[in-house]
Amino acid sequence: MTTTTTTETNTTDGYAPEQPPRLDWAALAPDVFKAMVRLDAAARKGLDPRLLELVKIRASQINQCAICLDMHSKDALAAGESVERIIQLSAWRESPHFYTERELAALELTEAVTVLTDGFVPDEVYERTAKHFEEAELAQLIAAITVINAWNRFGVTCRRTPGHYQPGQHA
Amino acid sequence: MTSSTTTAHPPASTTAPGPAPAPARTTLLDDDVRAAMRALGAAAKKGLGDPALAELVQLRASQLNRCAFCLDMHLGIAREHGVSERQLDLLDAWEEAGDGVFDERERAALALTEAVTVLTDGFVPDEVHQRAARHFDAAQLAHLVALITVINSWNRLMVSRRIPPGSTRW
Repeated sequence: MTTTTTTETNTTDGYAPEQPPRLDWAALAPDVFKAMVRLDAAARKGLDPRLLELVKIRASQINQCAICLDMHSKDALAAGESVERIIQLSAWRESPHFYTERELAALELTEAVTVLTDGFVPDEVYERTAKHFEEAELAQLIAAITVINAWNRFGVTCRRTPGHYQPGQHA
Repeated sequence: MTSSTTTAHPPASTTAPGPAPAPARTTLLDDDVRAAMRALGAAAKKGLGDPALAELVQLRASQLNRCAFCLDMHLGIAREHGVSERQLDLLDAWEEAGDGVFDERERAALALTEAVTVLTDGFVPDEVHQRAARHFDAAQLAHLVALITVINSWNRLMVSRRIPPGSTRW
């Protein structure tokens, strides 16, 4: 191992260098990107924006989508979400008192739809969530969870680089 | 399997054995969401420019995600696009089936399909991405990723709401 005393451009001293993206998919497939933006707007209709950010952050944590975490944690903070609720999100089952019953139900459904192959959205999860949401709102919640999973797939597969997002940039 | 009782015609009041029926799930899907999903799928398929491969990819993701509705639909479309019965039969074991059934380009696309579909199992390893990048140019690859993402989205929408195969209400 060699040590270096100089700081590389764009890296914090001692940190690993930034990974370049694999694929600039939005530029390579502009029609796809346009349709994703349209889909995102359609799926968020009628949902509480605060709840939506929690759902997006939780799915992005599970899918390890760095660019999505960068974006949605910054957007949530900028919208007034508490640092505590964001930090506790990956352990929400152990910290239910930070969240409303509706948020907890939405988070449980988020996990089931995200890790789809682990249980294929069990009846008991669906039923628990359905108790807290009107039918049309539940349909939108399912759509919103689906859409963040889609962004996560683009972000992870194409390895979009996190750290450069400014709050509200894509709001 | 439970064995049948000796009574050939049980009384009507007897509850049938087995698990309780699953509760009904919503069939609602916002019109704008549906329209945007269709636009997304059309854009992805157009950019990939290989309808038969697109069906193999969509079928494989739907197998992994156990989307009965999507399997039913795409089996029909795959046959319309000339995908062979042999490929359809062996799709679930495509890697083992080897070069005689799926060529290297198809296998690279299917490997990427599995990695993007079961995302949390490996988060699309470099070797899977590189294997696909050898067979698809950057624009095709972007649209292939998009197509895998779109079918995963349909799978989520259909499995979550448990839409039965062949249903006209979704």
